[in-house]
Amino acid sequence: MNNSRSIKAVEWLKSSGGITVTCTILVALAVSIHKGPYVLVNTLVTGGMWALMAIGVSLLFGVMNISNFAHGEYFMIGSLTAYYIMHPLKEYLLETPNSFLAFITPVLGIAGATLAGVIAGILTDKLIFAQLRKRNREGWLLNCFLITIGLSIILINLHMLIFGNTFKGVVNYWDVPSLALGDVYVSVDRVVVFFIAMLAILFFWYLMMYTTLGKKIRAVAQDENGARMVGIPVNRVYSTTFALACGFAALAGGSLLFMFPSYPTVGIAPLYNSWFIIILVGFGNVAGAVPGGFMIALFQVVTRTYMGEGWENVIPMFLISAILIFKPYGIFETKVRSVWEQ
Amino acid sequence: MLLKVKNLNAGYGFLNVLWDVSLNIGKGEFVALIGPNGAGKSTVMKSISGLLPPKSGTITFDGQVINNQDCAVNCRSGLSYISEELNLFTGMTILENLEMGAQMLEDKNKARENLDFVFELFPRLEERISQYAGTLSGGERKMLAIARGLMSNPTMVLVDEPSLGLAPQVTDEVFNALRLLNRQGLTILLVEQNVTKTLKFSSRAYILEKGKVVLEGPSSELITNDHVRKIYLGT
Ligand SMILES: Nc1ncnc2c1ncn2[C@@H]1O[C@H](COP(=O)(O)OP(=O)(O)O)[C@@H](O)[C@H]1O
Ligand SMILES: [Mg+2]
Repeated sequence: MNNSRSIKAVEWLKSSGGITVTCTILVALAVSIHKGPYVLVNTLVTGGMWALMAIGVSLLFGVMNISNFAHGEYFMIGSLTAYYIMHPLKEYLLETPNSFLAFITPVLGIAGATLAGVIAGILTDKLIFAQLRKRNREGWLLNCFLITIGLSIILINLHMLIFGNTFKGVVNYWDVPSLALGDVYVSVDRVVVFFIAMLAILFFWYLMMYTTLGKKIRAVAQDENGARMVGIPVNRVYSTTFALACGFAALAGGSLLFMFPSYPTVGIAPLYNSWFIIILVGFGNVAGAVPGGFMIALFQVVTRTYMGEGWENVIPMFLISAILIFKPYGIFETKVRSVWEQ
Repeated sequence: MLLKVKNLNAGYGFLNVLWDVSLNIGKGEFVALIGPNGAGKSTVMKSISGLLPPKSGTITFDGQVINNQDCAVNCRSGLSYISEELNLFTGMTILENLEMGAQMLEDKNKARENLDFVFELFPRLEERISQYAGTLSGGERKMLAIARGLMSNPTMVLVDEPSLGLAPQVTDEVFNALRLLNRQGLTILLVEQNVTKTLKFSSRAYILEKGKVVLEGPSSELITNDHVRKIYLGT
């Protein structure tokens, strides 16, 4: 028993997934020793959030066969909402300091952002995709592709039209001293954001594995007609899926506002990142999105550190092309699983 | 009548498959729908269940017209459909599949009872309770699909070709289970190609050819009917 488990572990280490994960950890350690532990901190802070984005994209594809190219715009909606909650409160706090309000402001901002994403997701499903489902499903993939591209353009331009083409950001969340971990100083914001991502991922995993709602979502993903045959209200499950996926994107947008100020196209980089992750770990591999998120984040931080700003999207692009050529199912060899391919 | 189908026309796209099909099934009956491959038997089942909206005609279940009602709503009003393709959740365990079958029940004790009941009916499922549905054998999948369809306490089940591709003794197991369920009051509409066996188990049967009902009557009479003997029994 123990022996067979260790044989399995060795085999996994020798697989492409194992090799990549091991290499990532080694690179992370090497770079932190060479350039200082901030590399690691930045990787952890953004990686968790990119994982959340990728989980959303993966979920929408796995459950509804929608490849959402507007997913970055829910990140944008999140950051915009967080800004319009936090900024006025912070202005007010400058004049009338209040420690409780100062503490609660970022919480309100991030919670508000998530709520906005959930609502936007439900509206997107009800107003667009539910209508499309009522008609026939012919050409569904292509239709959804075009719709999400169009939605992305519309949302970006709406942002520009209503809120203007400016950077809307906050410098930090909490005005408290940085935490000292040995000689490394890490701002509280970063630590909290990392834990928010971990909690959200944990919440998602628990939801999908152990709750009836999660099982219903999986049932619809695995066999939509089967789900209807056991009386699952499929349309409601679809709306919930959208709410979850878009809620996570907006949570990421709200949580990263101090690093990524809101502006019309702020969602594009996160969108690219989630697609990088998905191609890296394989379509529909929701669990793989978590290590994938950290890998991509590390990759980008390392490229930025050694090659300079701007290269962080070029190099992953090469990597993605290589993966598509040599490992089209991703490093974990996931088979594409979706409603139509069961 | 529990289920009344009147002048049903249905098909796929522009293609019409069913022509004025009418069926009547009373509470507690065990009715069979027999016919050659491609006659439209599965299309009848899909239309009744709500997976395929009919082109015209009326379908009444328990006094309510259910023509354009979603399959999920029909299931919740007691009409359970066990399809030819089975539509199992292949990435879930047997237990999870069965839980999903009972997800509409508010009373969790009832769900527990139903679970015990289907395990009694198909002990093999209990032995493999945490095995993934996608890894089961053909016969076990059929059993799981039937069991899942029973988890919601239906008043009527539509069963599409449960014997397709099964070894004879497994077929017997499935048929015996259906007979037992019928004796306990469950109304059954069964689609089958195994004509001899079906006519022995069912009380009444309809014969569907090229999308039309060509014969109907008590199974014991049909078994001696010349047309049936010539075409289906080969005697
Ligand atoms: N999804 C579909 N799309 C188009 N035609 C179909 C579809 N399913 C069945 N048909 C056609 O409808 C006719 C009846 O099929 P079906 O109801 O499955 O017959 P049976 O169950 O009696 O073998 C066949 O000619 C078949 O080719
Ligand atoms: Mg058939």
